[in-house]
Amino acid sequence: MTNLLQADKLYKMFGQVSAVHGISLSLNTTDFLAVMGRSGSGKTTTMHLLAGLESPDSGKILFNGQDISKLNEDSLALWRRDNIGLVFQAFHLIPTLSALENVAFPLYPTTVTAKERHRMAVNRLEQVGMGQRLKHRPGELSGGEQQRVAIARALINNPNLILADEPTGNLDSETGIEVMHLLRKLNQEENVAIIIITHDLEVAKEADRVIRVKDGEIVKN
Amino acid sequence: MNPKYLFTELIHRPGRTMTVVFSVAFGVALYISLQAYSTGYRQAARAPLALIGADIAAQRQGDVPETFEGPVFPHSTAPIHPDEVEAIQKLAGVESIGEAVLFWDFEPEQFLVVLGLVPPVSADEAVGPGRLMEAVQEGRFLSPIDHRLAVADISFAQENDLNLNDSVTVGGLSFSIIGLVDTSRAGQVANANIYIPLADAREITGKAPNVLSVHDFHPGDSNILFIKANQARSEKVSLEVKALLGEQALVSSSISFTEVLGASFHLIDQFGWVVGLVGLLVAIAGLIRAIATNLRERRRDIALMRASGWLRSNIVGQLTSESIILSFTGGITGIGLASVITVILNQTSVTIPVPWELSPTPHFLAGGALEKGLIIPLPAHIEWLSAIAAVTIAVASAAIVGIILGRRAANNKPAEVLHND
Repeated sequence: MTNLLQADKLYKMFGQVSAVHGISLSLNTTDFLAVMGRSGSGKTTTMHLLAGLESPDSGKILFNGQDISKLNEDSLALWRRDNIGLVFQAFHLIPTLSALENVAFPLYPTTVTAKERHRMAVNRLEQVGMGQRLKHRPGELSGGEQQRVAIARALINNPNLILADEPTGNLDSETGIEVMHLLRKLNQEENVAIIIITHDLEVAKEADRVIRVKDGEIVKN
Repeated sequence: MNPKYLFTELIHRPGRTMTVVFSVAFGVALYISLQAYSTGYRQAARAPLALIGADIAAQRQGDVPETFEGPVFPHSTAPIHPDEVEAIQKLAGVESIGEAVLFWDFEPEQFLVVLGLVPPVSADEAVGPGRLMEAVQEGRFLSPIDHRLAVADISFAQENDLNLNDSVTVGGLSFSIIGLVDTSRAGQVANANIYIPLADAREITGKAPNVLSVHDFHPGDSNILFIKANQARSEKVSLEVKALLGEQALVSSSISFTEVLGASFHLIDQFGWVVGLVGLLVAIAGLIRAIATNLRERRRDIALMRASGWLRSNIVGQLTSESIILSFTGGITGIGLASVITVILNQTSVTIPVPWELSPTPHFLAGGALEKGLIIPLPAHIEWLSAIAAVTIAVASAAIVGIILGRRAANNKPAEVLHND
């Protein structure tokens, strides 16, 4: 088990508001971490910083030894393409694409052939239990099914880290538990590190480790 | 650019796709159709002279004879001398000249419009009414060796009960009719009742007292010239011929025919391209609006592209390709629409007024003052250069708009969009 991610004293301000205030955390290659906090606590901004969707005002993020806080926008996009899978509360599937096409979507601008892309997407959808719904569009799927498709999409690039922002937030509790079990299974079978952002204690219980964030600072690790 | 994603977007957003395609198609069709209408009229204006294989008809106004007895020249025709013909022949752009002598013959029993022409070896070579060789209905046309033989207009022959081998008296000389022709095929230019060899016409008019009383007419003279000129220099040749023949010159060309066309033609000819261009610009404005709306609707999708590792250039390329495909489809649809409009335009006919001077008949005779007109189907056709230009403008605009708006969309912060949506 080696160190995957090392965030050191991250600060982020939006205008006069300090969203993240000196957060530091460390993650190993197979860790399953939950970041908990109330709305406005800074947990989502923390996730955005770790995903390279926002740049810290100060501090450092080392990913496999590489300082990603110094990368420009396009380099960060390439870094995400190679290393990160993202899961959102609102699923964020493309409404005009089928489940299969949504999963393959991150690979569209790459050199992966259409045939290989198709094979990889089918595998990932089967892995999340959506093998029978390949041709369905998001509008034809339930919330739980959509989130499974989103998880399959996050896996398509064989990431080292999945960052999930309130992945069960739009699901009923039973479906939410199923999704969490799926993420846990992937963490164990795929050896992929997972960070879940949540305000739900039941969800956080699935993680190996829980960090509590309040007013942009870690108050409990 | 991923073609599958591109076409999925176009198919699954039919409202946007149709709006853009049809707005571009409308603009392109308007632009092309107005050009087709304008060029159709311009081509129609060439028809009266083109039907007799000429580009320019040149005459010189003369004086009115004191009495209308025997052969007289209409006042729109005065002698043109061989040295003037030679000077015209030397003008750059002049390919060949057909000489003719047109006169009226007032006989006690009848009135005739007579045209003396150089009998052609073949219709293709003829410049001027010699082209009527192709319009022979009965008998044959005049040949270069003919003398005291005539060809009659078939309508005139029917009205006067004339048949092949009958005789007709012109300027006191008897001519045997060897052929009947359909004069209407000569574009209403220099129409005559009787056509005779030029040499005979010169002989008759060279002795006619009412010709000589007002004109200095010599045996080698003619009084109407049909000029075939290089298309590119035709306009310049017209002006030069006019200058050579002096103040009294009457020079007709396709330009002079377009000048007598209706106001609607002039409006479309002068402002049609502006209207077409405005239509095209309005269509492009619609295209910009549709693309901007589309990008607003797809903010989340674009943020997701960024979040899942698409480079800015990947996003701009994808969005620009969509715009280009939409605009190109609109352009092609526009050409199709313009083709339909052009076919409809071709079903309409256009009347080209032929000035009295080109086919004069005495005003004091019944129907003599009536203006003649040539009615032909409007030869509207798509100018492919205009069509390509219109589609290129539409596609280039789409590319520019796609790049500008795509870059702007790609610069949105994905974290903000994905979190707020």
